[in-house]
Amino acid sequence: MNKQVETSDRKIIASKHVKLGQKNQKGQTYTDVNDIFYKAKQTPSFLTGSEVIRAAIKIASVGTSVAYPITPQSEAAALIGELYSEGYLDEYFRGESEFAVMGQCAGAAFGGHRVFTTTAGPGTLRAMENFPMWAGSRLPIQVCVTCRGINSPLSIQPDTLEMHYLLETGMLVWHAETAQDLFDFILKGFIVAEQPDVHVPIATCCDGFFVTHTKDTVELPPDDICLTPYDPYRNPQPVMDMETAPIRMMRDPFVMKSNYISYATHASWQQEIKAAVERSRKHTIPLLDGLIDEHNTDREILVVSSGTAVSQSREAIRLLEQEGIKVGLVKIKTIRPFPYEEVRQATKKAKHIFVPEFNVGGWLAREIKACIPDNERVYAGPHVAGGMTMPSEVIVDEIKKHLGMETAEAVSLG
Amino acid sequence: MSKEKIVLCEDLADIMPPEYQELVETATFGNQDRGWKDIGSSKELIEQHSLCAGCPESIAFRYILASLPAPEDTVFVGSTGCTSLVFPHVAVHNIHSLFGNQNAIASGLKRTLKARFPDVEKDVVVLAGDGATVDIGLDMTMQSWFRQEKFTTICFDNELYANTGGQESGLMQKGFVAKMAPNGKNFEKVRLPEIAREAGCAYVALLTVSKPNRVEQAIKNAIYVAREVGPTFVQLYTPCILEIGKQSMEGLDEMKESESIGGRFVQKEYITEEAQKLLDSIKEETKARKKAAKAKKPVNA
Amino acid sequence: MSNYEVKAGPEAFLPPAAATMGNVLPDPGEAHIGGKLVPEDDAYDLAARKILAAKVPTIFPGPLVLWKWTDHVAEKAKALRELAVEAPMRLIPMADYRPKYPKIIQEYEINPNHPNLTIWHNKIDVCIFIGVHCHMANLSLKIIRGGTSCYTIAMCAMAGHEDACLSFRDADLNMIQKLTAKIKKLKSEGVESQAEPFTQFVMGPSGPLTP
Ligand SMILES: Cc1ncc(C[n+]2csc(CCOP(=O)(O)OP(=O)(O)O)c2C)c(N)n1
Ligand code: SF4
Ligand SMILES: [Mg+2]
Repeated sequence: MNKQVETSDRKIIASKHVKLGQKNQKGQTYTDVNDIFYKAKQTPSFLTGSEVIRAAIKIASVGTSVAYPITPQSEAAALIGELYSEGYLDEYFRGESEFAVMGQCAGAAFGGHRVFTTTAGPGTLRAMENFPMWAGSRLPIQVCVTCRGINSPLSIQPDTLEMHYLLETGMLVWHAETAQDLFDFILKGFIVAEQPDVHVPIATCCDGFFVTHTKDTVELPPDDICLTPYDPYRNPQPVMDMETAPIRMMRDPFVMKSNYISYATHASWQQEIKAAVERSRKHTIPLLDGLIDEHNTDREILVVSSGTAVSQSREAIRLLEQEGIKVGLVKIKTIRPFPYEEVRQATKKAKHIFVPEFNVGGWLAREIKACIPDNERVYAGPHVAGGMTMPSEVIVDEIKKHLGMETAEAVSLG
Repeated sequence: MSKEKIVLCEDLADIMPPEYQELVETATFGNQDRGWKDIGSSKELIEQHSLCAGCPESIAFRYILASLPAPEDTVFVGSTGCTSLVFPHVAVHNIHSLFGNQNAIASGLKRTLKARFPDVEKDVVVLAGDGATVDIGLDMTMQSWFRQEKFTTICFDNELYANTGGQESGLMQKGFVAKMAPNGKNFEKVRLPEIAREAGCAYVALLTVSKPNRVEQAIKNAIYVAREVGPTFVQLYTPCILEIGKQSMEGLDEMKESESIGGRFVQKEYITEEAQKLLDSIKEETKARKKAAKAKKPVNA
Repeated sequence: MSNYEVKAGPEAFLPPAAATMGNVLPDPGEAHIGGKLVPEDDAYDLAARKILAAKVPTIFPGPLVLWKWTDHVAEKAKALRELAVEAPMRLIPMADYRPKYPKIIQEYEINPNHPNLTIWHNKIDVCIFIGVHCHMANLSLKIIRGGTSCYTIAMCAMAGHEDACLSFRDADLNMIQKLTAKIKKLKSEGVESQAEPFTQFVMGPSGPLTP
């Protein structure tokens, strides 16, 4: 970047919303996102991840949400329905399939609503054709993906393989480690995705069950304040409401028909979507306090990870520390845009880089290998999948084994 | 958008392409009595497009656009197919998105426009091919009817997948030999009007586009009923002259033949009682309004 | 720090989007010149000089200033006309974004799907984008940079454009007038417009009223 963005600014541009300070129908005051997180008093609450999603949406000024049951997001999607019947959303209904749901979300977003939905695993893949369509159409829809297995035989258990399929859709892809992250990411995600220079969809991902179904302490702002509503006219494309020029307008025209057009248009369109994802860095860095978190990255051994694998790694690092083995940690929060520069810097001194993942593909390790010098330093593992837990001892063991150290008896996976 | 807002900035109006200058000067935005008869005397809402010469879809588009009761507040949803070559050239906002999900898009769009503009009637109209409506999109087509989504679905039935080169579709006649039906299609043309009726459409019409007044009436009925009562469906025969081996002048004959006694497109309508009541009252109102307008006009000696 | 300089092209068969090269958009009160962030006030001078030095400087107004969909827009349109007269610059509209069929007339319009055609045909060497939706402006700016030698200026009402050679952000009426004033001032100081003599075309509902 030609200008360093400071995480300490805690300022996101474009918070001069006309409705700032006004009250909505539910008596909530439209509040700048910086104030919600950095000024308002936060109160600890003990909630499941699904309840946290509800808490976030309650103060997110969402227009439309469309739901479809699939474990482990069904509960959250149903809780949003309760919010709707209490009057916090304008529209909510159950669609007929994830493919249809994502189309319904697109229709709502084309028409100028802030839109939120949730899905998981097979639902994500069923919906897949919509995601690059959302991005190409510059629709800042947020889908919360509560990751679960996608392949046969069927599994409802946590597994992050589906995130790999999202990487080149043109969406922002963020990966929450905890319920707190999820709460923050959902609210901040709307603000970043809706910036007129970004204005692409966002997938806020978390690991199913580990985050959605376990209780955790989460610091919440009061619920009598809420995000400023989406301003559909701060849009890089015309809103499809017949209130904006030009009226002769198809937002997603066939530009490729060779009788009149240059193929460069389509290529440039795709580049522009990539550019939009890049632009989100500037807005995300102050809001998320950086795209990565670093702990002791001056050490020779590092764990670089995302999602709940980070929590397991933290504990593994504590165990290793007890044995006198010093390991640093990098937590990656945004997978798209990928924090290339940050990861390059943070891993500068590392001789060994371990990437534990909850999937058999090892997509995160590949991303890291692709962006750092001397990438033989990267060890892709340990991996678990299909709902297996990743005991911290397994991470400890794998690190030690790879470094040629004595290990305890092979960890029983019970 | 009110008609008053469809104007050019004075200081730049004289550099605008002629089609826009004409559009703001003579198009019939804001005229509730607009109809197919305006074609020729006022600017149409469609520009040149790349359908095959003589394709009946083209004339169908012109009739439909001329018949919209409030184009200034209408948003179209299309789908992949020959129609998507026309939509960029139509002077109302419209969405393509994907192949087959048009009724899902329209569901989200209609609800949003209703929420954002509670005091304005924003008409949402789906216009898609038979492949999009019946085959790949049938689920979403029918589910929107089950849910009683208040918008109009128009299907351009050309009895095949035209845009991909003439493959079998569910609305193709039985026995027709086509790509992907090398021995002839072996099941009957799907009875979509009946499906629509049973799925909850308050107004259903099947017809060809040979007679503009009939098209106008069906489109107006469908949009009025969708505003007040529930989902509506209009199936229009727009034969694909290219794929059935006709000349550009032969589309009209093909339609006339198919709508005569015993043909596949003899005009029919299914109207619920509630919808009929509404249409009757609109008819009365229109009559009264036109009469009053006539009475006001000074009589020429 | 990005080293990618956004210059007039022709740059490449398919040039990269500047944002993917690390260029970031200006903050409020800033502009960018060639990708380098500068105080907004510094950008008027260069923009004005580029316009005056050009042979065929041209404004491309987009739908957001061509249509009177809010009152505020009409004032902007007026200010644009004043800018065009003062410089002088030609006005060629980007009336909509559709892939126009069968083709555009390059003297009278520009289209985001192949903006290079209008640039080439009219030999436009400096242009201003204004009132074009950002997505469409970015496509155009990049295609122009790829295939033409035109210097592009964006007067963006939102966050600005990395793909322009020079970009303002939050552009409002006042900013258009400031640019006009700057041109006037430079002229009064003896900087002469190098624009080739031309007559602005006048279009009517059935075609051009002047050649
Ligand atoms: C998911 C998907 N499957 C297939 C296609 C290919 N496709 C494009 S248009 C089309 C046929 C359209 O047929 P119809 O809806 O009848 O419209 P027509 O061209 O006949 O007017 C098909 C199969 C596609 N674009 N997307
Ligand atoms: S292929 Fe058939 S339906 Fe498509 S434009 Fe040509 S004649 Fe019309
Ligand atoms: Mg067809």
